[in-house]
Amino acid sequence: MEDLVQVEIEERDGDDVVVARLTGELDIAGAERTGLRIAEAVPSSARGVVVDMTDLEFIDSSGVSMLFALARRVSSRRQELRVVAPAGRPVARVLQIVEFERAAPVHADVNSAVAEIA
Amino acid sequence: MRALPELFDVRIKARSIAYLFGAGALLGLLTLVFPHSPEVNDLALVLLASSAIVVAAVVWASGDHVRDWHIHAVLVSGVLIVSLANYYAGPTTLYPLLYMWASLYAFYFFRPIEAFAHMTVVGVSYAIVLSIQDPDSAIVRWLLAVGTPLLAGLLISSLLRRLSERAQQLETSEVRTRLVLDTAPDAFITLDRDGVILSWNAAADRLFGYPASEAIGRTMRALIVPPEFGERHDERRQALIVSDSPLAAESFEVEFVRRDGSRFPGEATVSKVDIRGQVFVSGFITDVTERVRREAEREALLREQAARAEAERVADLVSSLQALVDAALAHRTLDDILRELVTQVRGVLDADAATIYLADEGERLSVGASTPGEIAGGDEFADTVAQAREAMLSGDDPATEGGRLVGVPLLAEGEVTGVLVACGTPPRVFGGEDLTLLRLAAERVGLAIAHARVYEREHKIAETLQRSLLPDHLPTLPGLDVAARYLPAASEAEVGGDWYDVIPMAGGAVGLVMGDVAGKGLAGASMVGRLRSALRAYALEGHDGARVVEQLNRLLWTEAEDSQMATMLYVIVDPAANSVRWVNAGHPAPLMVVAGEPGFLEGAGSVPLGVLPFPTYEEVSAPMNPGSTLLLYTDGLVERPGENIDDGMAELAARVREAPEDPDALCDHLLATLVPAGGAMDDVAILTLRNLPVPERFTAEFPAEPESLAPMRSMLRRWLSHAGADEMEIAEITTACGEAATNAIEHGGASGGTSFEVSGSRNDREVELAVRDQGSWREERQGDHGRGLDLMRTLMDSVGVEPTDEGTVVSLRRRLGAGGGSA
Repeated sequence: MEDLVQVEIEERDGDDVVVARLTGELDIAGAERTGLRIAEAVPSSARGVVVDMTDLEFIDSSGVSMLFALARRVSSRRQELRVVAPAGRPVARVLQIVEFERAAPVHADVNSAVAEIA
Repeated sequence: MRALPELFDVRIKARSIAYLFGAGALLGLLTLVFPHSPEVNDLALVLLASSAIVVAAVVWASGDHVRDWHIHAVLVSGVLIVSLANYYAGPTTLYPLLYMWASLYAFYFFRPIEAFAHMTVVGVSYAIVLSIQDPDSAIVRWLLAVGTPLLAGLLISSLLRRLSERAQQLETSEVRTRLVLDTAPDAFITLDRDGVILSWNAAADRLFGYPASEAIGRTMRALIVPPEFGERHDERRQALIVSDSPLAAESFEVEFVRRDGSRFPGEATVSKVDIRGQVFVSGFITDVTERVRREAEREALLREQAARAEAERVADLVSSLQALVDAALAHRTLDDILRELVTQVRGVLDADAATIYLADEGERLSVGASTPGEIAGGDEFADTVAQAREAMLSGDDPATEGGRLVGVPLLAEGEVTGVLVACGTPPRVFGGEDLTLLRLAAERVGLAIAHARVYEREHKIAETLQRSLLPDHLPTLPGLDVAARYLPAASEAEVGGDWYDVIPMAGGAVGLVMGDVAGKGLAGASMVGRLRSALRAYALEGHDGARVVEQLNRLLWTEAEDSQMATMLYVIVDPAANSVRWVNAGHPAPLMVVAGEPGFLEGAGSVPLGVLPFPTYEEVSAPMNPGSTLLLYTDGLVERPGENIDDGMAELAARVREAPEDPDALCDHLLATLVPAGGAMDDVAILTLRNLPVPERFTAEFPAEPESLAPMRSMLRRWLSHAGADEMEIAEITTACGEAATNAIEHGGASGGTSFEVSGSRNDREVELAVRDQGSWREERQGDHGRGLDLMRTLMDSVGVEPTDEGTVVSLRRRLGAGGGSA
């Protein structure tokens, strides 16, 4: 079966900011792979990475753990992580419950997230 | 008229009476020369004699113009002259002599009654003369003069009449025979016993070219019999002559020679004629050149007709077998070919039974097809035929010329692929003609079978390839029941271009694909493979349906060779939203069954993929409530040769209406009722999805693996939606339950469990879920997994973890409409 979660990588401002757009549903079946995929897509030269979850339908604790791990990894490389999750959507609700704001800022839209890094 | 009858000719009469008068006159004058009585009046006598001579001269000169009554008148005048002369000459015996002559003349030339009239004139005249001259002896002299000629005349008259009648008869008979023979169309020849020609008619003259004058007197053998048949001619004539029967006759056909040397076939009918011991042979000879030619023509015609009939029969056989071969190459399976062949062969040969034995790779023969049953002893005979590699006959009964069995090896590229054997019951035995026909047929049949075998093999490969492009198994979709069927076209060696797919998508939606690539063969199959992968990728990226289809069109337009095109239907069923959305690229409209009533989902139809570079595809949606069934299919299901596709779709709707609700049963029912027994002309693919009715409570078991989570959530969303949960409630409860399930997979699976169970129930506005696994609950700890329990507790009103002997049960409770969880 195909992965439920899809990752699209996009580079903004040259290769300064990497935007990883997640669609589908992020659970334990795809979390680890998705984390690796994003990490690999971020060159050490990049200033930061934006994980865009605007169109992500679902996230569970596995997905959240992946995001926390990604935040640790990015920060150890002196890079910035921003996530995008519009309020009122299931993903934002989960991030709020697990207080993801402690690890990385949560934005309502991609452009503001990218702008913050830049 | 010749011979005797000439005596009675009027000219003869006239001349003879002229002679009579002349002679009488001379006689009278002569009496005057001799001394005579002076009483005789010389002058009177000279005048009388002169008048007689004048009458004689006139009669003579009149010739042909004399009539009978002239003669009578002359005769009467003669009697008057004689009477007057008698009177003037005095009594003498000379004049009674003249009376006698006149009387005889009358009898000679006239009928007795006329002669009697003249006799009366003579008698009366002489009686008068006598009564004047010599009254004494008058009676004696009168009787002498009248009686003598009367008796003599009567005698002469009678003789003459009889003679005349005979002559008349003879004349008539001879004339008739002559006429018959001379005008006869056939030559008539009479021979004596030595073969010398005695008679030769006009037809013989015409036929052989010899006039009678030349032919008569020569032998027939020398004249008209070809030299090589001369001996036989003589023998035959002798045989005829010595035969006992006096009327022996025979008829035979033999060759004759004409005067100019040309020969011709003649039919001779000869008979022996025995006339008072004298033997003749007479015969008619007919020129039968024309008849022989007509017979030859007729025979040639018959031979030609027979040859044509034979040729037509052979052509019929060949064409029927050819048609069979063509059919074989087009659509039929090997079994079909063999079955048809034995039926055909049995019919053509009028045989009791026909069997085809097929050779395997070791050249061992086994029955391929037989009608009506296997032939006794046929296998041994088939072995013999295969060994001989030659068509042959075999007979149980040596007395019959033909064979009870006829067999012919079926060769393809020099190899014996099989043996065809037919069997007949006497009097039906097989002969050379049957062998010829079978030899003619065998070549084609052998090739057809070889082709069919190759195609059969290729077909299997094609089928395998085709099936590899279809999903191995359909995903388990909670709350949904899916079934699919793929039926390759009957004996279609080409790889079918039909494909279908079922794609579970985020949020519990499921994508259904039904497509038909126009190109067959490997190119078609590879295009199916590419479209299938591309569609999955596009669909899972979350594009809307219309965009997915547009991208596929782009792929086909830019990359496909030979302007390949495809029809396709892309349907997204969202059970959580109880809706269906679809995009139709030139494909037959899907069918939705609501409350048992089928209806086609029209609208959103657009051109097939690969036709235009930038076509517009539109996504249309419709509600799809639990209990509804969706049916996707390819045109193979609704298209039949010679039938309108609308009729086919109406038929489909009718079959769906009567079919069971269960998707598997529905598929089977449609295949059973819509696909002909021999298989469909085109590939048939069916995909059905039923949105199962949502129950008040449910229990579902899932494999203990991460891949179970998405279907589990999908099912749960649907159930929650039906239970009246709003969008956020659905998301939150699903997230909580997902955490419990993830724990079950991780812990239960680690403890050796293979599955976990999710059950749910609702009571008024409260939903209660339970997730049971087969492992032991791990104490929660800080970190990733602790986060899961936090989530559950936050999102639900209450969370209970209860270890049991079989495993762990996590219970989750939440009141709907209360505005979020306890956190």
